[in-house]
Amino acid sequence: MHWYLGRFGQYALVLLAALSLNFLLPRAMPGSPLRFLAGEDVGMLAPAQVAEIRARYGLDQGLGVQYLTYVRNMATGQWGFSYQLGKPVADAIRDRLPWTLLLVGSSLLIATIFGILVGALAAWRRGRGLDTASLTGAIVVDSLPTFWLGMILVAVFAVELRWLPIYGAMTSWGPRTGLPYVLDVLRHLVLPATTLTLASLSGTFLVMRYAMLDTLGQDYVRTARAKGLRERRVLVKHAVRNAMLPVSTVVFLNLGYLVGGATVVETVFSYPGVGTLLYQAVLNRDYPVLQGAFFILTVSVILANVIADLVYPILDPRVRGSGA
Amino acid sequence: MSAPGVVIPSTAAGTRLPRRRGGTLVSVCFGTPSAVVGTVLLASIVFVALFGTVIAPYDPREVVARPYLAPSAAHWLGTNDIGQDIFSEVLWGTRVSLLIGLIAATAAILVGTLVGVVASLAGGWADQVLMRFTDVVLTLPFLPLAIVLAAFLGPSFWNTALVIALVIWARPARVVRSQGLSICSRTYVEAAHALGGGFVHVLRHHVVPGVIPLALSQFILATSGAILTEASLAFLGLGDPIQKSWGTILYYAQARGAFLNGTWPWWVLPPGLLISATVLGFALVGRSLEGVLMPRLRQHGS
Repeated sequence: MHWYLGRFGQYALVLLAALSLNFLLPRAMPGSPLRFLAGEDVGMLAPAQVAEIRARYGLDQGLGVQYLTYVRNMATGQWGFSYQLGKPVADAIRDRLPWTLLLVGSSLLIATIFGILVGALAAWRRGRGLDTASLTGAIVVDSLPTFWLGMILVAVFAVELRWLPIYGAMTSWGPRTGLPYVLDVLRHLVLPATTLTLASLSGTFLVMRYAMLDTLGQDYVRTARAKGLRERRVLVKHAVRNAMLPVSTVVFLNLGYLVGGATVVETVFSYPGVGTLLYQAVLNRDYPVLQGAFFILTVSVILANVIADLVYPILDPRVRGSGA
Repeated sequence: MSAPGVVIPSTAAGTRLPRRRGGTLVSVCFGTPSAVVGTVLLASIVFVALFGTVIAPYDPREVVARPYLAPSAAHWLGTNDIGQDIFSEVLWGTRVSLLIGLIAATAAILVGTLVGVVASLAGGWADQVLMRFTDVVLTLPFLPLAIVLAAFLGPSFWNTALVIALVIWARPARVVRSQGLSICSRTYVEAAHALGGGFVHVLRHHVVPGVIPLALSQFILATSGAILTEASLAFLGLGDPIQKSWGTILYYAQARGAFLNGTWPWWVLPPGLLISATVLGFALVGRSLEGVLMPRLRQHGS
């Protein structure tokens, strides 16, 4: 119980940090915070609109009151207004979030499955060809900039070979219902998801390999072998199942990394998720959207951590009740 | 987390540990095949960073030919969308990318080491406060955080280095703290306390020297992380347009249609390969350094 209190206190701090940063940045910069709260086009707004913005953010009041107003607005979904997009920030993000979840979710799933498989096999065949090759591969792939990997995949598989679409999440004027729509979305998902999977594979792989080496040296594995179980059965039933426990924590911790990776990958593929929204906000100096996107990504990472904390005791009975 | 080929000579490297600095440096750089690869990569990159502006056939800021030219004897990597020489851009960019990485990593390691040793030695509430804060920074999604900070500060060489340092100091702080805690629990530190050694004395003479090898290997990790982060930020349009890094070149390639007009093999491939080679070089040398300075660490990965 004490452990959970500590963890959730930590997440509350992270949330507070993200909120405070978003609050302070526009106000700490030289010049009027209006430029950051309304976007670069503030000069073109009518005086009435400017007065409305000043009132909404309580800019004429003290910083303490402004902060409370700000937190209340964030809590009630009033995340500001993007004059460049012509709609509330929360609406813009709601339109984009499902695509990011699809991209990050599918990449996480594939990277986890492959990471566990390759990690287990590499540890089992330690020091042999597959082990050496996958370790070398992990180091090399980790050295590639994620966005550049995506650019190369686009160049080869979309531009030169023309196997897959170059950009977007669906064909413009393409099918919007039924199986053809699903297939169209999947076709557009292949390259961005492959990029993100490759970029995040090595973390899961390395932890699985290490955990597997550890379990393979345990007494219960030796016992299983000694009582004459076939090697396959020893591996799957005894070694892999136990080695997967530490992996489960890494999977969720990977999410913060994946969210960042998704930002650049979406940009390469013009995939209509939160990452592309963030990129466009950077180009247009659309600060309200920039801050909204950062906030929602922070909340997603916190949620993933909470899920990990709740799931882990279910997977591993040893940490239950121990409070560790 | 051990590179192939690093595993075998661990005992040999372990015996080499005593104060032969020259010998240590040699085994870090050339002790294993992968270390040799890393050293060669880094040496080449540093050479280009130092002399690239002299080797470059053109000033990359000047328009010297028609736009979108294919590679030729006059322009080895062709020209970009406004007719600047890409080969010269890439050579000049080496210095920008490497310098931002090194500056950001230096700042991050100084801050991280300071936070780590102070937290471990002070203990109590100071440790609590510092580590809470460190964990908050570690939990925030670091690339989006860097993007927001960079967008507010505006694109410039120093701002980019500052932003990267701000988002990467936390991991070394955590790592250094745990090493610091282990040092603080040793008997010679207890003895120093008992003999009346103050906070600063113990910090300077026992904790800091003890964490330096670790801080050094963290520095190499941080540099490769910083170079990758700089590339991502620049690719998202947050690089200094006056001092183009490799990432900035890639940003323009993506924005100005290098894929649609078939210029990507000489516009997109070279800068990305150089980023990868640099990061790989730091990773390989970093692993080798870890193995030589801290032989015990090696057993974890192998």
